[in-house]
Amino acid sequence: MLIDYFNTSPYTTAGIMSSLSLSLLTLLLYQGAAWLQQKCQLIWLNPMLLTIVFLVPFLLYSQIDYQSYRQATQFIHALLEPATVALGFPLYQQINTIKRHWQQLISLLVLGVIIVITLSFAATMLLIHQTEIAIALSLKSVTTPIGIALTEQLSGDSSITPFAIIIAGFSGALLGPSWLRLLNVHSKIATGLAIGAASHVIGSIVLTKQNASMGAYSSVALILSAVLTAFIAPLLIPLLITLFT
Amino acid sequence: MKNILYTAIAIGFCLGLGKLVNFYFSGLPSSLYGMIFYCLLLQLSWLNPEKVSQANHWIIKNMGVCFVPAAVGVINHFDLLKQHGFTIVLSIFFTTFALLTFVGLAAERYLTKPDEHG
Repeated sequence: MLIDYFNTSPYTTAGIMSSLSLSLLTLLLYQGAAWLQQKCQLIWLNPMLLTIVFLVPFLLYSQIDYQSYRQATQFIHALLEPATVALGFPLYQQINTIKRHWQQLISLLVLGVIIVITLSFAATMLLIHQTEIAIALSLKSVTTPIGIALTEQLSGDSSITPFAIIIAGFSGALLGPSWLRLLNVHSKIATGLAIGAASHVIGSIVLTKQNASMGAYSSVALILSAVLTAFIAPLLIPLLITLFT
Repeated sequence: MKNILYTAIAIGFCLGLGKLVNFYFSGLPSSLYGMIFYCLLLQLSWLNPEKVSQANHWIIKNMGVCFVPAAVGVINHFDLLKQHGFTIVLSIFFTTFALLTFVGLAAERYLTKPDEHG
């Protein structure tokens, strides 16, 4: 019964009801997880991660296939575009810092983006030999909306991208500051930029709690890296595909 | 929430411009063109930053839910994760730390002044 209900056509009344139920379930789970994280103040209680951890077993148990779920929640996915546009506001807020150091910042982050895309793509192709996965993994160091948009644009597997982005985010945010101290990197600007470039929003949140100015540099790096990746990836990835296939 | 309509129209307008540019020139995804237009209009004071601030903050705080439908697609990749999960995680970990090391060391060398340490 439940299976038939959720797998119905989206254009029937039952279809509309099932779409609403699945969208509502997704929104409620996310809000619940966000509330839990705020209450516990634990960075790894990431609302997106928790929602997925609850949703996947639910969908498997209810035998709802991914296509039906994706179709039912397409309006939530459609909000990704305006949400990405909203990232223009933090970019505007950091524009003075960018103006002050723009030459060094751009050169450093361009090199960083080229290194991480090439290393990730090459490692995945050598170990797993799947182009769609290699594209998804090579776009893991940018913030999620941009990572997903670019993965879809470059015909990668966008369902892998958010997981890769979360792992990159948490590993760099939690272990990155100690690793940088071990390398003798102590300045706020270098720590902030490195964590922002490698661990995007998750890294920025952790750093902002420790030190506001490190957090600001981290935001600059995450925004600039995302914009630079958007320009570099469509040129570099087809080149890497030709090289590795 | 204050000025939600103003912010929604501003974002919608910039996204529309982004779609137009993407339609004629392709290149970046339209949402990224929209993000650049949004920043540009704020910088040119064609949009009021104070008016969009609160609603914009709310959008960014809650935008994670928009990624859930795409991320749930991992449901189709259990075989891949069973087979290569460890390799994938290790590769992400290694490349993340390679990037951290490069940016950290280069920024420490070329961007710091003595008073910026600490």
